[in-house]
Amino acid sequence: MAISLRIRKRQTPLKLQSGLVLAGALVLSLALSALLLKLQGKPAGQAMLVIFQGAFGSLWALEDSLIKAVPIFLCSLGVAVAFRLQIWNIGAEGQYALGAVGASWVALSFPSLPWYLLQPLMLAAASVTGGLWGLIPAVLKLRMRTNEIIVTLMLNYIAILFLDYLVYGPWKDPRSFGFPMTRQFDTAAVVSKIGESNLNWGILVCVAAGVIFWIFFRFTRYGYEIKAGGENIRAARYARIPYDYLVMLVMVLSGALAGWAGFLEVSATVNRLEPSIMVGYGYTAIVVAWLARLNPLFIGVASLLLAGLRVGVEQLQLDFQVPAAFGQIMEGLILLTVLAGGFFVNYRFYLGKKD
Amino acid sequence: MDGFTISLLAAAVQSGTPILYATLGEILTEKSGILNLGVEGIMMVGALAAFLTALTTGSPALGFAVGGLAGALLAGVHAAVCLGFQGNQVVSGLALTILGTGLANFLGTPFVGKSGPGFTALPIPGLADLPLLGPIFFRQDVLVYLSYLAVPLLWLFLRNTRWGLDLRSVGENPAAAAANGLNVVGWRWIGTMAGGFLTGLGGAYLSLAYTHLWTNGLSAGRGWIAVALVIFAFWRAERAMLGAYLFGGVMAFQLRLQAAGTHLPSSLLLMLPYALTVIVLVLASWRQMRSAMPAGLGINIEPPD
Amino acid sequence: MKKVLSVMATALLLVTFCGGMAAAKDFQVGFVYVSPIGDAGWSWAHDQGRKALDKMPGVKTSFVESVPEGQDAERVILNMARKGYRIIFATSYGYMDPMLKVAKKFPKTVFMHCSGFKTAKNMGNYFGRMYQARFLTGMVAGAMTKSNIIGYVAAFPIPEVIRGINAFALGVQSVNPKAQVRVVWTKTWYDPATEKEAAKSLLDVGADVLTQHQDSPATQEAAQEKGAYSIGYNSDMSKFAPKAHLVAAVWNWSPFYRYIVEQVEKGTWKAKAYWWGIDKGIVNISPMGPMVPQAVKDKVLAAKKDLISGKLKVFAGPVADQKGDTKIADGKVASDKELLGMTWFVKGVVGSTQ
Repeated sequence: MAISLRIRKRQTPLKLQSGLVLAGALVLSLALSALLLKLQGKPAGQAMLVIFQGAFGSLWALEDSLIKAVPIFLCSLGVAVAFRLQIWNIGAEGQYALGAVGASWVALSFPSLPWYLLQPLMLAAASVTGGLWGLIPAVLKLRMRTNEIIVTLMLNYIAILFLDYLVYGPWKDPRSFGFPMTRQFDTAAVVSKIGESNLNWGILVCVAAGVIFWIFFRFTRYGYEIKAGGENIRAARYARIPYDYLVMLVMVLSGALAGWAGFLEVSATVNRLEPSIMVGYGYTAIVVAWLARLNPLFIGVASLLLAGLRVGVEQLQLDFQVPAAFGQIMEGLILLTVLAGGFFVNYRFYLGKKD
Repeated sequence: MDGFTISLLAAAVQSGTPILYATLGEILTEKSGILNLGVEGIMMVGALAAFLTALTTGSPALGFAVGGLAGALLAGVHAAVCLGFQGNQVVSGLALTILGTGLANFLGTPFVGKSGPGFTALPIPGLADLPLLGPIFFRQDVLVYLSYLAVPLLWLFLRNTRWGLDLRSVGENPAAAAANGLNVVGWRWIGTMAGGFLTGLGGAYLSLAYTHLWTNGLSAGRGWIAVALVIFAFWRAERAMLGAYLFGGVMAFQLRLQAAGTHLPSSLLLMLPYALTVIVLVLASWRQMRSAMPAGLGINIEPPD
Repeated sequence: MKKVLSVMATALLLVTFCGGMAAAKDFQVGFVYVSPIGDAGWSWAHDQGRKALDKMPGVKTSFVESVPEGQDAERVILNMARKGYRIIFATSYGYMDPMLKVAKKFPKTVFMHCSGFKTAKNMGNYFGRMYQARFLTGMVAGAMTKSNIIGYVAAFPIPEVIRGINAFALGVQSVNPKAQVRVVWTKTWYDPATEKEAAKSLLDVGADVLTQHQDSPATQEAAQEKGAYSIGYNSDMSKFAPKAHLVAAVWNWSPFYRYIVEQVEKGTWKAKAYWWGIDKGIVNISPMGPMVPQAVKDKVLAAKKDLISGKLKVFAGPVADQKGDTKIADGKVASDKELLGMTWFVKGVVGSTQ
């Protein structure tokens, strides 16, 4: 008879200690990243400090990280809505692109409107275009039984190419010397900055979206039904929950939220539509949503952390000439360790006798 | 058929081959019940490992094998997270894509743009002279011929062998498989790593045969296409071949349309392969989808108390 | 909240204080690249210039690679400015607006943007007349083609690329009026597999000389495998395809970057458009391969001499577009402004400009 390590599911998952597990996972991933740097002959400890300083170590840095967190947060909130119903929307990237297109269309078509009409109209247009782009895979899923992962993924490529087509073709600014971009938006179409800071009022949109998200799932019937439907489709159908309707609803909401992110990006940060707004926020959003367990507050924290990581890694490049890909490695490692760490929240080890 | 069409079809086979390897790998993985969305990352790591091995040893054949092994190793991380630690398969796969792409780009930085040894076209005597089929299928490189073998082998394995049956039953109904005395977790490890091996070969094809170069982002989204094609193929090897060639063909076609002097905007032409994938998926899914998907796909098995 | 943050920030700034002091003595120059540096492409060519600066006494350089155009670029440039960099070079057209925004906030820093058209009090733009080298390589292609079809694998339909294609086509036509240039857009700067497939599609329609406006040498490889000829870009690509490689249009940024740093050090730098040509060596052609006949070599080198002396202009009228409409009238030479905004193909180019 031998003594061996065995596992057992906990009666109740860890609560407070799960913070420790999370911290442990983060430390492990940072240690692995540092090791990789060490192997490349870079000062690992200092490098980690530089990343932190670059991301959160000054007011500027914090501002930069916050600005970058905005689109990630909105896209992530969007996919979280769909994920709660177990609908795998991988298409935030495309819905974000279409949202940007919709908002730009309004900005370019009605330049004479005052800002208090123009900006809500842009937001509405972004919701419609983003939402419709989300509705397509939902309808195909319900009517044709296609897999939404693949359809949303393919629609991403198509949306980005459509954006390309617009800025290389019909929407190209005649005064841009042929560069692929629309003309610059008028000031009325630009979400303005808060006071002296670099932050824009889009942050407020994020907070509002987060609160609405929370209220929706906490207090409304649809919110409850989505959660129930996500946990058990069959039981939900049995309980006469309108599953098909909910699938369409979450995909439209999901797309609309990603569309908002697109609206803020073209309006507040770039001031025009151009292909460079596509930098993969939609994919980061999926990762963030899961790290945060689909909780709006945690999504905020995780968005800020991942945005900070990206901002901080730039500092690392500047100071130590570490290739840009290092940030991806860190991101991947953090995700995998946190994911694996979840195990310790739900299971415990004990020494037992082997049969 | 004229020369233009024949060369288009030959190009379809070649540009479809890396996607075909990756699709076969993902089919094997998913048949065991594990969903691995890390195909893109695995291809990247496979491509770099293969290229570096070929560059240092001068042997592309060794490089091809090492590309596969590197793919299997990275897929092992996915298996560890999902099977060992009960991690969510969708997220773990996405993390793997990020990690694999990052690792390959990071470690490959000193080798970007270097040219290494690789495979070139090797017509098969006799077969290459067949009308029509010869120039399309038998004037390719050795790795393409290997993929011709891999397709029926995987088909036979999954359909007609004891082991294949075991692997599939683990993916279909893990509880029943366990009741029958099968080691469910073990089989899923095997499925995931063997699938990663094939996927790694797909990456190796990119850096050893398609081009003889290494560069950042070499895979350029082909891994995601492979994930899509698995469903398109209803988890069947022979259909994966059709899908991969169709996708490769449409890609090659839009470039040739440009070369022939069309005036259509290139953005719209580039949409073709993706739009086609959706359309075909819709047409094909209509009736058959549900029955084809392994019932246990993506669901973790909780360890017994 | 703000108070807590600023306390945190001050504490952390103190930590780095010593390091910051040491660095402040150096004349720091920053570079922003759009792609990984790699080993033959656009960013690599700029990085060669950066390395040349590192050899200057008192000058210290740094770079950030793979910076997406747009908001990320603004932040990276802003960061360099905050850190006290004296000159910042941004090497992609999409960095233009972000750089302009930052330039307004840091009047003492010198900003230099490559391949755009905007300037400010402390921001200049710069580029090289690569089209001159393209014209010369076009002459080689025109002389070497037998099928009279020359393939051009190109990344994005922006003026820089279109200008290169037009100059190349004019070079081809100057020695071989019957030849046509066919263009395939890949919509990517570096995806070797797609570039190679694009190259093959051109070979399939009968092209026997290929050239490229891409960062990877995949086009060269495709040409060599098919027994066709190829013409490189960015740097001498003969090592990738020794049997196919005729010549390459190459960048040499070092003299320009040295010049700007010297001007700023002396205080004589001016915020204007710097557009250097083949006469100053910022662009050039690589040595021509052994398969190019001596007579062709002589002709091309003679044309190079004329370009340097200014006797020969690439975009001198009459030049017609694809439809045959006159774009540059007889006796006129295209202005820099016209060149910067070029969105049409010259006659003899087959392809779409979208």
